[in-house]
Amino acid sequence: MRVAVDGTSIELADGTTVLQALRAAGADVPTLCFDERQEPFGACRVCLVGVAGAPGPLPACTTPCREGMAIDTHDETSRRVATAIVELVLSELPVAPAPHTELARVAASLGVSEPRWRGMTHAVDHDQRHPYLAFQRELCISCGRCVRACDETQGAFALTATGRGFDANVTAGLDAGFRDSSCVSCGACADTCPTDAITENTLLEL
Amino acid sequence: MSRNLVELVRRTHARGAPTALEVLKRALEDHGEITDDDRREAARLSGLPEAAVYGVSTFYDDLRFPRGARHVRVCTGTACFAATGDAHVRELRDGFGLELGERTEDRSRSLSETVCLGFCHSSPAVRDGDVIDAGEGVVERVLAGAAQAAPEPEWRSMLERPVLTEPSDWSGLRAALASRSPESLLEEVQAARVRGRGGAGFPAGEKWSFARAAPGEQKFIVANGDEGDPGSYIDKYLMERNPALVLEGMTLAGYAVGADHGFVLTRSEYPLSKPALEAAADRARTQGLLGEDVAGSGFAFDVTILEGTGSYVVGEETALIACIEGLRGTVSARPPYPAARGLYGMPTVVHNVETLANIPFIARAGAAAYGQLSPGATSGSKLVCFNERFARPGVYEVSFGGTVRELCDEVAGGIAGGGQLKALQIGGPLGGVLPASLLDTRFDFSELAAVGCMVGHGGIVGFDEQTDMRELTLHLLHFGASESCGKCFPCRIGLRRAHEMFADGRAVERARLEQLLEALEVASLCAHGSGMPAPIRSLLAHFPDELGLA
Repeated sequence: MRVAVDGTSIELADGTTVLQALRAAGADVPTLCFDERQEPFGACRVCLVGVAGAPGPLPACTTPCREGMAIDTHDETSRRVATAIVELVLSELPVAPAPHTELARVAASLGVSEPRWRGMTHAVDHDQRHPYLAFQRELCISCGRCVRACDETQGAFALTATGRGFDANVTAGLDAGFRDSSCVSCGACADTCPTDAITENTLLEL
Repeated sequence: MSRNLVELVRRTHARGAPTALEVLKRALEDHGEITDDDRREAARLSGLPEAAVYGVSTFYDDLRFPRGARHVRVCTGTACFAATGDAHVRELRDGFGLELGERTEDRSRSLSETVCLGFCHSSPAVRDGDVIDAGEGVVERVLAGAAQAAPEPEWRSMLERPVLTEPSDWSGLRAALASRSPESLLEEVQAARVRGRGGAGFPAGEKWSFARAAPGEQKFIVANGDEGDPGSYIDKYLMERNPALVLEGMTLAGYAVGADHGFVLTRSEYPLSKPALEAAADRARTQGLLGEDVAGSGFAFDVTILEGTGSYVVGEETALIACIEGLRGTVSARPPYPAARGLYGMPTVVHNVETLANIPFIARAGAAAYGQLSPGATSGSKLVCFNERFARPGVYEVSFGGTVRELCDEVAGGIAGGGQLKALQIGGPLGGVLPASLLDTRFDFSELAAVGCMVGHGGIVGFDEQTDMRELTLHLLHFGASESCGKCFPCRIGLRRAHEMFADGRAVERARLEQLLEALEVASLCAHGSGMPAPIRSLLAHFPDELGLA
């Protein structure tokens, strides 16, 4: 199957997603809910691209390539809307994400600083009962990566999405902390978290 | 949705165990709240991990708020808003001294909101325990502990040959089984060009042919009776007054697609729907029309009736499937489409109950007769319903292609008491708002789309001169934000921000609002987030002076 990414034609295997195609072609778009070790989730909608003939931007991570597809990573509407979404994400956090986090890097790559929309932020709520894993609930952006890491990578099923709408978040077990759940302390959740909502306490801090 | 969790629930289902959601619902009904012991029990019985059960217990409206011995639910649907401007909600809150979602300390009483009870013909509506009261004096009666059951809506067909309002005699199924192969029935449904009646208008025959061609050990038909548009009581009518027609349509779909089982998901807001469908299914089994050998044809098909747990987005097909599996009712990215990988990972056809109710006529009378029901317009007929602002509210079966004015004036008798119609919202909360100046628009898919509106599911909510359009905007955005499933970022955060822009009472900066609406429309994962901007855009277009814009 051949597709064109920003005008460059490449040959791909069947079943390739648009995101895989554009990374294979050396192009890229920012993502927040995507982790190549996990099934695509399609939640953050930051990886939007233009596709010739499509009625509007499409998410690169969950859209399969088709023969002859022409993908445009510079599509104006896609980049404009992706920027708006990253602003919305920043607007839900009570503090700016730490500069080394994936969220901060994605925001910087899109030139986002001050969100156009402000309002309710997530309440500060820390769980530091676990010896190795710390959870700062207010930094959670519900990307689902920790839940999928726990399910698809580790098979521990200790984590779940909770609530709905703006109140969506994640928790371990029956919401009594990582320690009272089926968590095996593997750290896969902290490893994939794009905001430091879940972090590993380092040996030095212990 | 997690493939691992779906595999777990498939195994649970295969051994006949209840889903986690069923166990949690029973616990709530038993003792008015969900405890950790209930969650552990749900995990044990369903085989789901405890964390996943916790996630389910915090998702659905019915499970999220504790109930007192007396549980009062006030309808905050759009028809009730059109009737009172939400005065009934404030009066009940004040009268009981409870906020929505609260329970008294002694657990004797609780109050919550519900969207919507389907008594839009007699708004406002309140459910006190199992009694749904509605109409004038309802608040006083409920506060006095004297709620009385409100009359059910009337229905009528405007067609010479009713399709959706004729009681089922299963003759469509008998005719198809006697004289048609599954392929021939599928071809007839494709030829009839049946468009889905749930809102999206997708051709039903296409879904069937995808699911028929998809490989799978077992296939399913799912009837979506949890569509839940505030202001619509069409599904309530079909499931409670004509349930056999829905079951006959499902059985026909099963025959054409090669499915041997169907599921109907009803709404918990319509407490009579599940018993009515179960009674109809029992009658059909007795008559040999459901079961191992349907009408002596050798074709096996049976149904399971399940009740939802309070979530609007569960009307989206992937979320609906997750709800039937007892999981969180969040939307999944497609592909895979349910026709390839749906319920329990098997090929599944999901239709709104009204779409399925069209099939028996096609099986009996053929595609040509179906096409003639609405000459020069979309094939078939449509159920519409009107709110209590109209002189003759009720469910009506109409043809496509007439004008909206004809529907409002000739069918529903115009605004009651000689009042002036200001605007309509057609087709649910994601439908555009049609100002009275555009009433000559034809009632059909493309004509309504051209003016920013839609057929949707056919609920027609009229607003009279009393309606404050900024309050209506706030009402719609409150619904949008509180029903967002929370999966995709634009809907999860964007609807909250849009609501906040109107809720703080200050002037709304139009450019900033429109930038937000664009992100919702372009980027949302499902029709909830991408559709909510439509009514807001039409309010901006037709009533800018009333919205308090900067």
